Amino acid sequence: MMKEDVISEEKDISLQGKLAKMYVVGLKAGYGKEIILKGMDLAIRDKSITAIMGPSGCGKTTLLRCLNRLHELSPNAFVSGKVLLDGVDIYSKHVDPVSVRRKVGMVFQKPNPFPTMSIFENAVAGLRLMGIKDKEKLNAAAERSLRLAFLWDEVKERLDRPATSLSGGQQQRLCIARALSIEPEVILMDEPCSALDPVATAKIEEAMFALKKQYTIVLVTHNSQQAARVSDYTAFLYMGELIEYGQTKQIFENPSNELTERYVTGKFG
Amino acid sequence: MTRLMDIGLEKLSRLVLDMADLAEKSVISSLQSYLAGKNDTQQLEQWSQELRKIQDEIGELSVEMIARHQPVASDLRFVKACMEIAYGFSRFGRYAYDISEVLELWHGFSRCRQDELREMIGMVTNMIRMSVEALARRDVQLGLQVFELDDKVDILFRKSMEKVSKNPNSIPECDIPLLLVMRYLERIADHAAYIGETVSYVVTGNSSI
Amino acid sequence: MELYTFENITSRRRVLKNRMMNILIYLTAFLALTPLILIIADAVVQGLPALSLSFLFSTPVPVGYQGGGIAPMIQGSAIMVAIASLISVPIGVTAGIFYSEWPESRISTLSSFSNDVLAEFPTMVIGIFAYATVVLATGTFSALAGGIALGIIMIPIVARTAEESLKAVPNSVKEASLALGIPRWKTVIYVVMNTAKGGLITGIILSIARAAGETAPLILTAGFSNSFVSNLLNPAGSISYLIYYYGISPYSSWHAIAWGAALILIAIMLSLSLTVRLIANVRTGLEVA
Repeated sequence: MMKEDVISEEKDISLQGKLAKMYVVGLKAGYGKEIILKGMDLAIRDKSITAIMGPSGCGKTTLLRCLNRLHELSPNAFVSGKVLLDGVDIYSKHVDPVSVRRKVGMVFQKPNPFPTMSIFENAVAGLRLMGIKDKEKLNAAAERSLRLAFLWDEVKERLDRPATSLSGGQQQRLCIARALSIEPEVILMDEPCSALDPVATAKIEEAMFALKKQYTIVLVTHNSQQAARVSDYTAFLYMGELIEYGQTKQIFENPSNELTERYVTGKFG
Repeated sequence: MTRLMDIGLEKLSRLVLDMADLAEKSVISSLQSYLAGKNDTQQLEQWSQELRKIQDEIGELSVEMIARHQPVASDLRFVKACMEIAYGFSRFGRYAYDISEVLELWHGFSRCRQDELREMIGMVTNMIRMSVEALARRDVQLGLQVFELDDKVDILFRKSMEKVSKNPNSIPECDIPLLLVMRYLERIADHAAYIGETVSYVVTGNSSI
Repeated sequence: MELYTFENITSRRRVLKNRMMNILIYLTAFLALTPLILIIADAVVQGLPALSLSFLFSTPVPVGYQGGGIAPMIQGSAIMVAIASLISVPIGVTAGIFYSEWPESRISTLSSFSNDVLAEFPTMVIGIFAYATVVLATGTFSALAGGIALGIIMIPIVARTAEESLKAVPNSVKEASLALGIPRWKTVIYVVMNTAKGGLITGIILSIARAAGETAPLILTAGFSNSFVSNLLNPAGSISYLIYYYGISPYSSWHAIAWGAALILIAIMLSLSLTVRLIANVRTGLEVA
C-alpha cells in the first residue's frame, strides 16, 4: 500500500480524476544475463492512452510484454518486481497468467489474424476458445467488437471471407476487434501502425481515441509524433530506464529532462 | 547533429535579429533627431515599412516551419516566440515613425521643458538595447531585468500625466506633444519588456516571473 | 563504356555462348524427365489394353480365361493402407506436435532423432520385423500384419511432415492466441493445428502414397490372396504384390494384367500427388495480404 502512494507522489503530474489502473514497481526484466529493464516505476492511468516512447532498444516492447506476462514465455526470460493491476500483483504466485491475459489484451506490430479463419471466426476466436458456443452471443460480440474497432461497416457484408483477404490496415483493426471481443480492461499496443500507411494509421488512431473512453490503452511507439497526437500521458524510456513521465502536452511543449528534450526535437544521433 | 529543421530555425533567428537591429535603430534615430532638433520622418516611414515586411516574412517562415517540421518543445517555443517578437519590433518601427510625426506637427518643441522626457528617453533606449541583447544571447536574466524596468517607465509616465493634468499653467504646445511622445515611449517600453519575457519563455518554458 | 551492338564480334560470341548454354540446360532437364516419361509411356502402352471397367471391379480368373480383374487387390491395398493410417496418423501427428512445440526436452530430441533413423530404414527390414512379431504370433500371413508393417513405415513420414507443418506456423500466430488468454495446450490444438492443417493433410497424403506402393514388406506380412478380404487375419492381396507375382509368371495374359495393375498404381500415385499440389496452393492460408 505504501509503495503505491510513493509512486503517485513522485511521478504524478496531476491525477485529474484519472486513477491509476496499473502500477509498475521496481520492474527488472531481460534475457539470460542481459538486463533490459533496469528497475522501473510507472503508473498507467485508467481510461486514457499512455504512450511509451524511446529509441530502439530502450526496452519499451519488453516493458509492454511484462504487463501481460508474455515476456516470461520467451526462452531465458526473467522478470522481477511487481506489476499491479487494480491493486493486485499479476506476478504473484496465486495469479494465473492466463487470467491476466484475459484482462490485459494485446495488439502486435505486424497484423496477425489467424490465417485459416474467416473474419467472423477471428473476431470471436477468443470467446469460442473460452467455450462460448451460443450463436447469438457470438454474433452480437462480433458486431460489437468490430464496431469498436471501426471495421464493422467495411466487413459486415463479408464476414465469412478469409481474414487474409483484408488489407493490412483492416487486418490490424480485425486484430483489435479480436482483442476487444473478450472484453479486457487494458489494451496493449506494440507499434500497431508501424507496418501501415498513413491513411490506415489515421483510422487506427481514430479507433484508439474512441476506445480510451472505455479502456485503458498502453501504446508503444517509435514515432514520437504519434505519441504527441494520440496520447494523454507519455513515458520516455532510454536504455532500460524511465527518463521522464508526464502529461503529453507538457512533455512536448516543455520537457523537464534534457534527454527528453533532445529526443523529441530529434537531436538524438 | 544538424536537422533539416535547423536550417529554417537559423534563418528565422537571423531575420529576427536583423529586425531587432533595424527596430532599435529606428527608435533611437527618431528620439535623437528630436533631441537634436532635426527630423527625418521620411526615413522613419521607410524603415517602418521595411520592418512590416520583415515581420510578414517571419510570419510566413514560422508557419512553414510548423507545417513542414512539426516542431516540439524548445523548437516550438522558439517559433512561437519569433512570431510574437516580430510583432513587437514592427511596433517599434511604427511608434518611431509616430514620434517623428508628432515632432513634425509641433516644431519648436525644443523650447519646452525636457528633463522628464530625456529621462524617459534614456530609460527606454536602455531597455531596447537590453532586450535586443537578451534575445541575441538568450540571456534570461537580462530579459527579466528589462521586464522590471518597465514598471519604472510606467511610473514615470503616470507622474508626468498627473503633473500636466494638475498644472494650472500648462502650455498646450508643450504638454500635448510631451504626453503623446511619452505615451509612445511607454508603449515601446511595454513591447521591449514583453520581448525580455519571451526570452525566458524560449529558454526555460516559463513565461511568468 | 560503349554499348555493345550486335554488330560487335565480342557480343556476338557472347550471345552464341548464351544460346548454347540454354540448349544444354534444357537438354539436361529433359534428360532427367526421360525415365519418368518412358515408364509412364510403357505402362500406358502395355497396360491400357487390359483396362476396362470390369478390370477394376471383378475378381481374377484362372489362366486362359477371358476377363477378370484386380478388384480384390485394390480392396486389399485400400484396407491395409487404412489400417496403416489408423496406426500412423495419431502416433505420427502427436509425435510431430511434440517435436515442434517442445523441442528443448531431451525425450523430444531423442525421439526425433530415432524418428529420422526409422524414416531411412529399408522397408524390407520393417517387413521382417512385422513378420517376426505379428505373423509368427498369429501364425498366419494377414492383412493386419501388412497394415501394421505399412503403418510403421508411415509413422516417421507423418511425424516429420507434421513437425515441419507445425513449425511453419509463424510465431506471431501463436503469440496472438496466447495474448488472448488462451492456454498453451488449447493454442496448440485449436490454433496451431488449424493453421497447419494444409500441411498436415498433404503430409498424410504423401505418406499414404508412399505406403500404397510398398511391396517388399507385404511379401513377408500380408502374403497374397485372390479373394476379397473377409477376415483381417487372413492373407490379403495388394496391387503392388500382384504386379510382382503376375509379372514374374510365365503367362503372357498375366503379364498384361500386371501392366494394367501398374497403370492403376501409377494413376493412384499421380492423382494423390496432384491432390497434394492443389491443397498446397489453395489452402496454404499462410500468406498475409
